[in-house]
Amino acid sequence: MFQNFRLSMAWVHTWFGLVLGFVLMICFFFGALSVFDREIDRWAIPASRFAPQPMPSFDKLLRPVFEDMQPNKESLDYLRSRVDGPLPSYFSTVHSWAAYTTHRDPVLGIYAEWEVPKVRNEDDTAWGNSTIDPRTGMLLPDDQLKIGSQFFYPMHYGLHLTWHGLGYWIVGLAALVMLAALVSGVVMHRKIFREFFTFRPQKATQRSVLDLHNLSGVLALPFHFFFAFTGLVIFASIYFPVAETQLKPLHELHEKLEEKTTGLPHERSRLAAPLASVDAMVAEAQRRWEAKGMAGEVGYLSVSHVGAANSYVSIYRAGTDRIALVGDGIHFKASTGQLLREDPPRTTPDSLNTFLTGLHLQHFRHWLLRWLYVLGGLLGCVCIATGFIFFVEKRKKQHAKTGSQGSRVVDALAVTTVTGMLIATLTILIANRVLPEFLPVGWPARGDLEFYLFWAGWLLAMAHAFVRSAPVAQGQLNPAWREQCWAVAGMAVAAVLLNWITTGDHLIRTVFTHTYWPVAGVDLFLLASAALAALATRMLTARMKAFKPKLSQPQTEELAHA
Amino acid sequence: MHDVLLLTASVLTGVTGMAWLALAMEVHWAQVCRQPLPANAVLRLRILGGAALLASLVLCLLVDHASMAALVWVMALTAGALTVALLLTWRPHWLVWLAWGAGVKKQF
Amino acid sequence: MHYLSGLRAHPVLWRVLAAVVGAYVFCWGEVALCVVSFTALGMGFEDAEHLASMLTMLTYLVLFLWAFAASSLVRVWGVLAGGGAVMAALASLLQWQLVA
Repeated sequence: MFQNFRLSMAWVHTWFGLVLGFVLMICFFFGALSVFDREIDRWAIPASRFAPQPMPSFDKLLRPVFEDMQPNKESLDYLRSRVDGPLPSYFSTVHSWAAYTTHRDPVLGIYAEWEVPKVRNEDDTAWGNSTIDPRTGMLLPDDQLKIGSQFFYPMHYGLHLTWHGLGYWIVGLAALVMLAALVSGVVMHRKIFREFFTFRPQKATQRSVLDLHNLSGVLALPFHFFFAFTGLVIFASIYFPVAETQLKPLHELHEKLEEKTTGLPHERSRLAAPLASVDAMVAEAQRRWEAKGMAGEVGYLSVSHVGAANSYVSIYRAGTDRIALVGDGIHFKASTGQLLREDPPRTTPDSLNTFLTGLHLQHFRHWLLRWLYVLGGLLGCVCIATGFIFFVEKRKKQHAKTGSQGSRVVDALAVTTVTGMLIATLTILIANRVLPEFLPVGWPARGDLEFYLFWAGWLLAMAHAFVRSAPVAQGQLNPAWREQCWAVAGMAVAAVLLNWITTGDHLIRTVFTHTYWPVAGVDLFLLASAALAALATRMLTARMKAFKPKLSQPQTEELAHA
Repeated sequence: MHDVLLLTASVLTGVTGMAWLALAMEVHWAQVCRQPLPANAVLRLRILGGAALLASLVLCLLVDHASMAALVWVMALTAGALTVALLLTWRPHWLVWLAWGAGVKKQF
Repeated sequence: MHYLSGLRAHPVLWRVLAAVVGAYVFCWGEVALCVVSFTALGMGFEDAEHLASMLTMLTYLVLFLWAFAASSLVRVWGVLAGGGAVMAALASLLQWQLVA
């Protein structure tokens, strides 16, 4: 199909890059925002704007909250068709309780699973979750959307397309294509070392855009490669569910073996037993970590088979100072507090997997590295966006002559995915500040409204991009780029102002007098974005005013093949 | 505070290393110094650049354990290279002192 | 030869299908065979799964690009579909031996 290797790689890079680039923009942008997901949550939920807290006392604070919990509505809806008979009105047999916290969490997420009577698939459980203030045990209202951790973060790995996990598969394909685009890009980019530091904005648009595309791709190549690769490894069991299908017998055999070696039972025993003091177990776990020279906080705590005689408590150390999320698990018999097992050091494959996973999910404490990750993510966005722009720039004059609408469509989609996505993001942040705390009865939950408004904002931006795109079919710049940059600048400033007006947390307060970096950071980032958008608007206005004459420079082979 | 200083030093040595490696290329040397690049300077600039990058890694290792430090270093190099690329485009004369600091004789 | 003319009529489509679907079949076989082989060699099941995934994601990348770079599309499909099927069959055979 292709005359040589380089041409085949150029074809793959161009066409797969174009099609999956739209998905990859979402992954990289919302992935970059997800680095500070919990901080964005603080901005979106003012009631949670206090300092991060350690795991609170289980006996005094968590246990009463857990005992009051019941499954979520979504879980019940899912189970209704999977049981022989009606669902009980009260779920009493608890499969497990769990709580997870990091050094960045003021509020605590807690999670519970219950056994379901008369369920067809014995692996199905009812689940429920809540967020509590760990200082008091008060539940946070569940109609609020954690815009960072529950919206931006799942957006980047699943596109909020949950029908049969379709979003996971699309993102997975996009990640694979990202890897392919990186390799094929290197193959195409002959002067990769010579042009390592090259950026020539004064040259013709095609050349300068390609320079920026190469720069943002090559300088952050390790980052782009590792994030796409580790993303695929993290979700590998979704893409290749071998253990649940072809190798289920082997999996079950090993589960039984594991039960014997670890002493942690899989099935619940019929005998009941009370729960001993978990706080005492936590103290013992922390004593043991300190004895090993790794004193630390509790990251993850779970109680399995709650209420049964063989119930056990698992306590894991928070990986604040490590790449791994949690580690050094210690397990106790729930009814007596007797030590059952101290997890042995990780095997080599497990260490490698934990390193790769932890590298991607970053629950460690390292503010410089976090910001460098944001830089990497944004460079990925620049790489993809400049890829789109180069694609259009290279073809629009030709298309203008032949009357093809191809460049116009791609350009409008590019506007939608670049500035349109920013507009949608700002829409949800503004909606979060503008919507009233308590909505009238019968209206959707506040969080749901924010969710719908995000998509509405994006659709409007897309409509605008298409409506204004006629000049592209004449070989010129789409005015929507400039107009949407203006909108981004204005909306970003509006978001900061609205935060001030609705919560009283203005920048002087959050930076100097009552320092609170999560909110200050979001506000400063918004202002910086506004400044960049305004700068972009100025540059685009200048470019549109000065109609650039066609430069008669010989096209390099690279430009021709790209 | 100690960590902040070490990490800042690491980032700065990273930028310096990248700048020296860039200056070892004819086109970037010309952008910064507006003079031709002497042949004997190329190797010296490359060695200095490499050494600075290595120093940057060592500084990272002084702050965090190996697996974390490696990540910080790789990402810091990206930031450093980007800084150098943008400086070469918009403020090349800011890098002049680095060029002469490499011990290359100024030609008048 | 009817099937070859169908292939020639839509070379792009068949290349894309090979890169995405064909490579997937090969990779499924690879994951399955790796997991069973590693556990047979004494590795824990989850460790085997993780290691197999890491290796296979890299394989997928290589095969994806090869599907476009290779000159013979017939050979590509042969290797991908055939290789995948053989590895999957071997995996099941080995599993039956381990579990029985």
